Amino acid sequence: MGSMFRSEEMVLCQLFVQPEAAYVSMYELGEAGIAQFRDLNPHVNDFQRRYVSEVRRCSEMERKLRWVSGELPEPPPPPIPSRRMLSPREINMLEEKIDYIESEIQEMTKNARNLKSDYLSLIELKLLIEKTQTFFQDHSAQRKLSATVQIYNNDAVFGHLGFIAGTVATSRVPSFERMLWRISHGNIFFKQAQIDQPLKDPITGHELQKTVFVVFFHGEQIKLRVKKVCFGFKATLYPCPATYKDQQEMLSGVETRIKDLEMVLDQTEQHRRLVLTNIAGDISTWMLAVRKEKAIYHTLNMFSMDIIKKCLIAECWVPKSDLYIAQKALDDGVKASGSPIPSILHHVPTREIPPTFNRTNKFTRGFQTLIDSYGIASYREVNPALYTIITFPFLFAVMFGDVGHGLIMTAFSAIIVIYEKRLSKNKSDNEIWNIFFAGRYIILLMGIFSVYTGLIYNDMFSKSLNLFGSSWMNVYDSETLANHTSLELDPAVAYTQTPYPFGLDPAWQFATNNIIFLNSFKMKLSIIFGVLHMAFGVTMSVVNFNFFRKPEMIYLQYVPQILFLMLLFWYLCILMFMKWTMYSATATDPTYGTSCAPSVLITFINMMLLKGSEDSPPCKAMMFDGQDALQKLFLTLGFLCIPIMLFGKPAFLFWQARNRKRHEVGGERGEVPAGAGGGAGAAGELLITQAIHTIEYVLGTVSHTASYLRLWALSLAHAQLSAVLWQRVLRYGLARSLAGSVTMYVGFAVWAFFTLAILVLMEGLSAFLHTLRLHWVEFMSKFYDGQGYAFMPFSFAAIIEHDDEELAQNGAPPEKKDEEY
Amino acid sequence: MKGCIFNIDAGYLEGLCRGFKCGILKQSDYLNLVQCETLEDLKLHLQGTDYGTFLANEPSPLSVSTIDDKLREKLVIEFQHLRNHSVEPLSTFLDFITYSYMIDNIILLITGTLHQRPISELIPKCHPLGSFEQMEAIHVAATPAELYNAVLVDTPLAPFFVDCISEQDLDEMNIEIIRNTLYKAYWEAFYDFCKQIGGTTADVMCEILAFEADRRAIIITINSFGTELSKDDRAKLYPRCGKLNPDGLAALARADDYEQVKAVAEYYAEYSALFEGAGNNVGDKTLEDKFFEHEVSLNVHAFLQQFHFGVFYSYLKLKEQECRNIVWISECVAQKHRAKIDNYIPIF
Repeated sequence: MGSMFRSEEMVLCQLFVQPEAAYVSMYELGEAGIAQFRDLNPHVNDFQRRYVSEVRRCSEMERKLRWVSGELPEPPPPPIPSRRMLSPREINMLEEKIDYIESEIQEMTKNARNLKSDYLSLIELKLLIEKTQTFFQDHSAQRKLSATVQIYNNDAVFGHLGFIAGTVATSRVPSFERMLWRISHGNIFFKQAQIDQPLKDPITGHELQKTVFVVFFHGEQIKLRVKKVCFGFKATLYPCPATYKDQQEMLSGVETRIKDLEMVLDQTEQHRRLVLTNIAGDISTWMLAVRKEKAIYHTLNMFSMDIIKKCLIAECWVPKSDLYIAQKALDDGVKASGSPIPSILHHVPTREIPPTFNRTNKFTRGFQTLIDSYGIASYREVNPALYTIITFPFLFAVMFGDVGHGLIMTAFSAIIVIYEKRLSKNKSDNEIWNIFFAGRYIILLMGIFSVYTGLIYNDMFSKSLNLFGSSWMNVYDSETLANHTSLELDPAVAYTQTPYPFGLDPAWQFATNNIIFLNSFKMKLSIIFGVLHMAFGVTMSVVNFNFFRKPEMIYLQYVPQILFLMLLFWYLCILMFMKWTMYSATATDPTYGTSCAPSVLITFINMMLLKGSEDSPPCKAMMFDGQDALQKLFLTLGFLCIPIMLFGKPAFLFWQARNRKRHEVGGERGEVPAGAGGGAGAAGELLITQAIHTIEYVLGTVSHTASYLRLWALSLAHAQLSAVLWQRVLRYGLARSLAGSVTMYVGFAVWAFFTLAILVLMEGLSAFLHTLRLHWVEFMSKFYDGQGYAFMPFSFAAIIEHDDEELAQNGAPPEKKDEEY
Repeated sequence: MKGCIFNIDAGYLEGLCRGFKCGILKQSDYLNLVQCETLEDLKLHLQGTDYGTFLANEPSPLSVSTIDDKLREKLVIEFQHLRNHSVEPLSTFLDFITYSYMIDNIILLITGTLHQRPISELIPKCHPLGSFEQMEAIHVAATPAELYNAVLVDTPLAPFFVDCISEQDLDEMNIEIIRNTLYKAYWEAFYDFCKQIGGTTADVMCEILAFEADRRAIIITINSFGTELSKDDRAKLYPRCGKLNPDGLAALARADDYEQVKAVAEYYAEYSALFEGAGNNVGDKTLEDKFFEHEVSLNVHAFLQQFHFGVFYSYLKLKEQECRNIVWISECVAQKHRAKIDNYIPIF
């Protein structure tokens, strides 16, 4: 957990690696995923780099593998995880193998296609003969053509009428017919019949809708033109005998050929499947190896080459605690290559700012992401993610407090957490689901905390639980109770004076002033939590000042800031506690009776405006003696802090610079210190930035304190919404009648749906966003710099995950890609 | 007012189109491309641009024609996506753009059949944006009248073709006349259509179309020198929607040589500048290139205004220019002929 507190210490390393050893070393580093390499040739084009031919070779293998896996009948099984590396020799063998497999499958596919298109034309011919028979019969019956005119085969025209028969795509039939009619000036006779059974395109495998047609015409000239049109419309022409007898003969011939072909097709298909299933198991493993190799060469391209020493130089950031892994990877590389010259790992002292690296596990990752999406922490800055683990779900729960809704949320996330292994295996493309899955632990904690705050608010689907027995009792007799719809309970009499052990007293459920009471309670609570949260944030800056060796900033910035916050706003909170404890219904002194409790808000406003408040006997405007003077003192001290915040830092820097100058002038007399001229401008800029920061902080404390009131507002909204849902929907179903039971049947569905959709999902989302805001703005603005950049190590796992995502997008069929544009 | 409701129908597509436009290669990309040693390098570099993995699935010895086909395929997919999602009047506007490709395809096919080339060889050369159903049966026609009556009467080009119907045979000269008559009718119809849409679309498109018309008139004139085309016939081919209309066209109709054409262009500031810079010497840019440059600048200007259809036209034209550029560079790279590799026309 120690690493959560601030980001890891990074070391800039220079690696001197022999080219022979580089491959193995990089493989080990890629598996470990601990080094972020810097591009040492930023000005060199992609295609002018050293290992570009290797990268290209890998891309080519990848393309072939992709093609082959596209030919597989089902998606290949996931790769067998193994850390074993393929040596360059093995890769070469693999390349040959892939080449061979690709050409073999290509050959087979081509053969299969030829066979299939033969098959298709035979089937078409068969259908054509079957269909045309009816044409000729129609013909003879209706027009008595058979008696007067002989119909001749198109191959040998003896007399007057010729015909052409074939098939054409159904969608093109109308324009085909029109065109034929146009070119012949209406001197043709066109018959068509749609083929009902769908045919398969041999190349794409899509379904084809085709229509059989026969065109009768007169004369050789028209025949030529008809043929041209048929060609233009991609119609397939078939020789079709004119007499019934010939047709029957041909039909039987075709049918035997179809049978033969079916057998051959079956065999080729089996053979093909055999070959494909043989490689199906390996293909993912190969793909993985190729991708790793490609990634390695990509990284090697970032190295610079020492021409004389014949070794590769790389620069990378490595977490200090992982240095030994990097060293081991280098040693392994040397061992594997058998080179006598060892690789050298060399720390380079640098003034450059290292990347920020927070080691996370599956639990903390979600919280770290919340912080990182605001801004990556500056290097070694205090990491708010650690505290967010508790404060985030807690503040969420303050807004979302409801035992029922919390339980739903807990159950949902608990299921995901329990089955997380199984769920993470089959990745989903659903973005919303992925968000839920990534935030499962956040949701789980939010759910648990919501149950807790729900118990505090004593609120379960807008109803209270009477777990310990209320501390309020009935003081009226039955007659009074019968005559009044509402009665007032005097706390002095009706209250047992021992509070309800945990959370809100269930008696408030029936009270008509329930909302007024809850508002006052929740409002105060929000302010108290808010001030504490902010004070915590301000205090975090001390940790940063200490770590970055700026102790003076504690006095110049932290102390005035925290004083300002405490003297003004924590005092407000103290007033609240005092009001809660000092005033009571049973107090003997009337000045501390319930009716005399002063409004904390008015007191605070009067304090700010320096307005005295008048006593109205027997009550006193102030809670204790000397309060007025104390308030004035606090106010003066608080406002005295502002000039310290404003001028402290610039004055200190100025003083420091002058000291240094005096030092320098004393040491090296006569030399003009460089940059002395720019001092005035820099000082002005510094003053302006400081002024902005100060104004931001001072106004910020006011506006941020008010901002925490959203805790109350959302909590109120949530409670009221769930109350409305109960009263307007489910309560009607509770009537004791037949209608009630029917209403219940429908009403419960409606209630359950809205509870889930609106109260848990929508309200949950809204409360989540507000919590996020409270952390990003109100909490983190007090200390968080967020100017860092993330550590992105060279890691196979990350690269392959990224590739998979890309592949999922690019691998989609073209129509789908079209949608994405 | 038009601007307010423009986005209801065409806002999404305009946004999409502007997004596509941002993917057009920049000068820096071209500088990298011309450094390529082989087509594989070119492929590698294009992978880093908006083209992404469009060549990733091509087997390794790349040819220029593959690159050309893939570039065109990508452009056509984008354009057809826009067309499929468009509603009136944008859909008609986009259809109008495709008509010029149809004209080109018809002429290509007729010329091809005239030279006894099999139609199956010609079809792949046709631009996919200009394909229509009856296209492949075009070789049944032997005369313009037949061409009209049998093939074109069902296509949207029919109204443009009415002027070309004559009983003459289809010979090379006639085909050229048909092409120019078709184009004349097409530019004029497109011009009128844009005028009818009005607003910014008219402002932007009429400017571009007027230039196209004038360019055609000038090129017809220059190409007609030394042919048997009579001056009267030539004058009939001039599109009458440009800035040269009517005085410039009348002067062009009288021109006898290149110098006279240049003298006519002198009267028009933008065209005289084009003639100034053009020459046939080594190192000079040809008049054609000058025209292309001017076209590119007009099309780039179209993106400076919002809520009009001109962006779709301009995007297509710019992208076509880009394809020409890439193909030019690839040709130079493939043939190891680097002297003229810089003759591409940069867009941004």
